[in-house]
Amino acid sequence: MKKLMPLWAACVVALAGCSSMTAPEAWEKSSLAKPEMTMGSDALGERFRQHIYTSKENASGGYGVGGGGCGCN
Amino acid sequence: MFRVSLAQGDASKRAGKDFGFAFSAMGSVCEIRIAGLARRKAEQLAHLAIDEVRRIEAKFSRYRSASVVSRINAAAGSGRAVEVDAETAGLIDFAASLHGLSDGLFDITSGALRKAWDFRSGRLPQGDAIDALMPLVGWSKVVWRGARIELPRHGMELDFGGFGKEYAADRAASVLQERGVNHGLVNLGGDIRVIGPRPDGQAWQLGVQHPRERDRLLAEVPLATGALATSGDYERYFELDGARYCHVLDPRTGWPVTAWRSVSVVAPACLAAGALTTVAMLKGADALPYLAAQNVGYLAVDGDGRLHQREAALALN
Amino acid sequence: MKRALQRKKSAPVSAHGKGAVVLAALSLPGVWIAPAHAETAPDNGVIAFKYLHYEDSQPGLKRIKVNSPSLYLMTPIGSQWAVEGSAVVDSLSGATPRWQSSVSSASVMHEERKAADVKVTRYFERSSYALGVSRSKEHDYASNALSVSGSWSSADNNTTWNLGVGGSSDEIDPTGGGFSGDTHDQKKHTVEWIAGVTRALSSVDIVQLNLTYSAGHGYYDDPYKAFDVRPEKRKQAALLGRWNHHLLGDQSTLRTSYRFYRDNFGVDAHTLQGEWVKPVTAALAFTPLVRLYSQSAADFYADARIDAGGFPVVPALQPGQLNSGDQRLSSFGAITLGLKTEYKLDAAWTVDLNLEAYEQRSKWHLGGSGSSGVDTFRARFIQLGASRKF
Repeated sequence: MKKLMPLWAACVVALAGCSSMTAPEAWEKSSLAKPEMTMGSDALGERFRQHIYTSKENASGGYGVGGGGCGCN
Repeated sequence: MFRVSLAQGDASKRAGKDFGFAFSAMGSVCEIRIAGLARRKAEQLAHLAIDEVRRIEAKFSRYRSASVVSRINAAAGSGRAVEVDAETAGLIDFAASLHGLSDGLFDITSGALRKAWDFRSGRLPQGDAIDALMPLVGWSKVVWRGARIELPRHGMELDFGGFGKEYAADRAASVLQERGVNHGLVNLGGDIRVIGPRPDGQAWQLGVQHPRERDRLLAEVPLATGALATSGDYERYFELDGARYCHVLDPRTGWPVTAWRSVSVVAPACLAAGALTTVAMLKGADALPYLAAQNVGYLAVDGDGRLHQREAALALN
Repeated sequence: MKRALQRKKSAPVSAHGKGAVVLAALSLPGVWIAPAHAETAPDNGVIAFKYLHYEDSQPGLKRIKVNSPSLYLMTPIGSQWAVEGSAVVDSLSGATPRWQSSVSSASVMHEERKAADVKVTRYFERSSYALGVSRSKEHDYASNALSVSGSWSSADNNTTWNLGVGGSSDEIDPTGGGFSGDTHDQKKHTVEWIAGVTRALSSVDIVQLNLTYSAGHGYYDDPYKAFDVRPEKRKQAALLGRWNHHLLGDQSTLRTSYRFYRDNFGVDAHTLQGEWVKPVTAALAFTPLVRLYSQSAADFYADARIDAGGFPVVPALQPGQLNSGDQRLSSFGAITLGLKTEYKLDAAWTVDLNLEAYEQRSKWHLGGSGSSGVDTFRARFIQLGASRKF
């Protein structure tokens, strides 16, 4: 648990130190427009997965609001 | 000049909404392609774009006596500086930057050398024709200050041919984009600027002419955005005793370049792509590292017919 | 002829500056124009069908089987509106333990759940707003939810903030009154919030940070489990960080995320997930996935203990004392391995297949051993889908 925090911090630092982390100009964004690069790709499949994990584990959330509940066990 | 085909690919459901408008300008066969709009609207907008291309041709062609470039050239050696407007000044500034960025190879005063080279007759320059013209060549000799440009010696010439067509492609594309075109492209004799992908989101397949076989394509470059421009030794040339003499002249020597049969560059704007193809042809052996340092994608065929390429997708990142 | 006014002479740029020629060209007016709208309705609509088959088990007991077909539809209306909706029918059958992972007298059931949701989004030049409703109904549980959200983009379109709030109202009416026989007509109300920011860090990196908070009150017990008494209030918070990185060399994409979760039941959880979207040809892409999860036990979780006779020890509870033997509230870790395959049949159709294998073990709990006496839990699922752009 506590061991994971330094790992995450290290990732953030490494990410910050990555080469050419300059905000992209409008003409440089063709990669960012690819479906696999967006945060919302495969909405239906992702919803299924989150539903399964939420019913088999205790943690939930982080992705959005408005899902509603279910009597899943 | 260039035969560039647009491969249709698989027939899209929207095929009915894809309109092509052919016309000729700047000595080439040109086409405007608009998709995703009704025919009438597409036609209206295509006319506006064609008007823009013709406006630029009329304003910057050295073959039109009323053009800005002709006025500047006519005043060469008279001691008179010519005042130019913002658009012309921007292009002259661009040419000046490019002169520095290409270590002096890109030089819009090199047009004066055409007097020594007659591509129609197929004869080499007579005697010391080139030596006589060399004093008229050299961007550093041009007086460019404020909004006024002066060519100090009689016979000096400016030539926007190295980027004029490409600039027109970008301007025509902007005209269309500002008026709501999201899918389409502008193709001026092989210098192409994409406005947006096909309506189904797929890239346009842009064919690049094979430098030696007129009826064949060298490659197809898929572009959903950005521009593609090509320079080659097959546009205007003659062959003598097994050697080819093409229209791309080195401003330092006055002689044609031989290192590359064709160079195509992919960049966000056609102006940049076209300027870089010219510089690459002139750079010879150093062309590929130079293009990589400029962070553009390219397809180049060397003097032995070998193909070199750098990922075109990289150019747009 | 226009007069030249205050025109800036572009300073010569170093020949070794990356992309200097491109920058010089792009700075000329009219050569390149940024697309006008940051937020527009999508160009295409999508209709998708997915079929899920899920099975879970523990040693000695095959537990739940679920078959779940679902339909999804998204369509833009003009360039400023979009509507999306989905409908799903879950068919569950199988058994779940009444106490810990005790196999004997597991409750057997057969259940069907129907759910549907609709969301309407309105797009403006730099922002969008959405309203959504959803409804879920099964024999013993009904849920109605409403949500409102908004997103705002910066002028350069590199940063987007989003805010959302949702409320849901659930009714629980256990079959036969549940384990105790007299649990009827229970209610649960929840309000949840989300605040997040998404940012393009470079031409190949995009990151997102979301904070969600949910507060609810009502009935949280599991009515079919023995000795299950949970708090009447639930507060949950989650912090999710995601990073998508595109590799230009092979056009693949690395997607990673980490989520920290904490709630008032005393559970802390960590979720670390990584997937690699690897295109193999222009039409085919594989995405292997690894997910690591670890949670601590709820404060009122009762450890599984076996007495001398081999029978589960059940706690002696005071009235109103909190307790649960639910495996899902124990301390454990879990690993998922998954593989997704996506194949583009043509410009409009795509088919996909997703396989995931999940295993939950108390000894995999991060930082030490988890709750004792809980059996390993395994789940497998396969999702088959087809979607069409129009």
